[in-house]
Amino acid sequence: MTIVTGFLGSGKTTLLSKVLSAPSMASTAVLVNEFGKVGLDHHLLRRADEKTVLLEHGCVCCTTREDLVGALLELLDEEDKGWISPLDRVVVETTGLADPTPILFTVFSHPVLQHHYFVNLVIVTVDAVNGELHLDHNPESTKQVAAADVVVLTKTDVAKTGAVDPLRARLRTINPSAHTIEAPFRQVDPEELLRPAAKWSPNGTRDVLGHGANRLAPSPEDLAVRDKAARHVSQTHSTSLTFDGPVDWVAFGTWLSMLLHARGEDVLRVKGLLDVGEAGPVLLNGVQYVMHPPDHLGGWPDEDRRSRIVFITRGVRSEELLASLEAFRGIIKAGPRLLEANAPV
Amino acid sequence: MCILCGEFVTRIHWTEKHAEDRARASTDAGAKDESRRNRRRERTRRAAVTNQVLRHYGLNVCDWSGTKYILRDGKGRSELVQDLGSLWPVAQKLTGRPLDPLDPALHAALREAPAISSIANGE
Repeated sequence: MTIVTGFLGSGKTTLLSKVLSAPSMASTAVLVNEFGKVGLDHHLLRRADEKTVLLEHGCVCCTTREDLVGALLELLDEEDKGWISPLDRVVVETTGLADPTPILFTVFSHPVLQHHYFVNLVIVTVDAVNGELHLDHNPESTKQVAAADVVVLTKTDVAKTGAVDPLRARLRTINPSAHTIEAPFRQVDPEELLRPAAKWSPNGTRDVLGHGANRLAPSPEDLAVRDKAARHVSQTHSTSLTFDGPVDWVAFGTWLSMLLHARGEDVLRVKGLLDVGEAGPVLLNGVQYVMHPPDHLGGWPDEDRRSRIVFITRGVRSEELLASLEAFRGIIKAGPRLLEANAPV
Repeated sequence: MCILCGEFVTRIHWTEKHAEDRARASTDAGAKDESRRNRRRERTRRAAVTNQVLRHYGLNVCDWSGTKYILRDGKGRSELVQDLGSLWPVAQKLTGRPLDPLDPALHAALREAPAISSIANGE
């Protein structure tokens, strides 16, 4: 399942209409919130009005999207009865103001859906012309970027020369783990867009964690651009770190589950590869309170076998995360090492 | 379904997913037994590791028949919890104060009481 989100008018439907026209997308079902002005011409297009059910004592992310449950179960049923051809993928397009977290929660927590679907990508469209404005005035927009695996910069063909660079730097500051694709009007390669995160390049882990996550010492030029970008991001911090040895997976789970309990609303994203002393790392991916089921990989994607994790937080400083992990060192069996921090100035 | 309380368990917490998946994927009897033992060992170790943190709050947790965890405080009160996802809110309710891994007071307590590796390893 692929989630496509992005602020109002950022080009979600235009992007989808291009992607869905590819022959390889014939076995893809599409769930949209509304049939917009830009018509999506696809034979498996369904409408799912956002109906959220807040669980008792639940936070906003732990809401169940009942509309999605119904639509996804219906697709399973129709596939089972042979009414539709077997599906390879379901694309869910959200409204512009939607938080993608409840969609993840819905799929991971539903007793049937969790066995039939997994979320492989969260794609977020950002308008190269108005993206800065959206990020300045709408916290939802920042949350969407933090939740992204792939950020698609749209309308780069109509943006002023030089205007895209600061936005690109700002997006990197918010979410260093996201893979960024530029898409002038309808110019996007569906295969590249929907490629699983771990296969973005032969240099796999750089892409799992973003292009700069491995760098121990960013250049002064990089720092200048990021400092400038960070001023816009107010309370959003990103922290890339590693450990000085394999971590105890059970103990790390205790620490992270405690962190998500206490600060889940402010942990906009956790993503990375964790060395747990096995043949391959554990692929971690979480958005606020909602964790993807951790994937224990059979091997490392490249020669670099260090843990690499990115935390995107709101109001939680890098030093606080490092101090906590340092205090838990005896339990986790390894100490944290900061790789990179983008903090608001 | 939990055979002890009759409750349907439809969600497996992410911290336990790997061990549960391995146990379910085992086919022959020998592998099934080994997976079950590994799962129980992991639960025991999870309780021991979590106790190193809970000690600061005057709480204690232990595995309960391989299906749940039982959380106790110093006053003799106890609560059953399904997993770590439900443990922290219940622990907070029992102590009446927030349980936060970023809390400097917890850090100081952890530094003063070094991890007991034999317990953490479930030995």
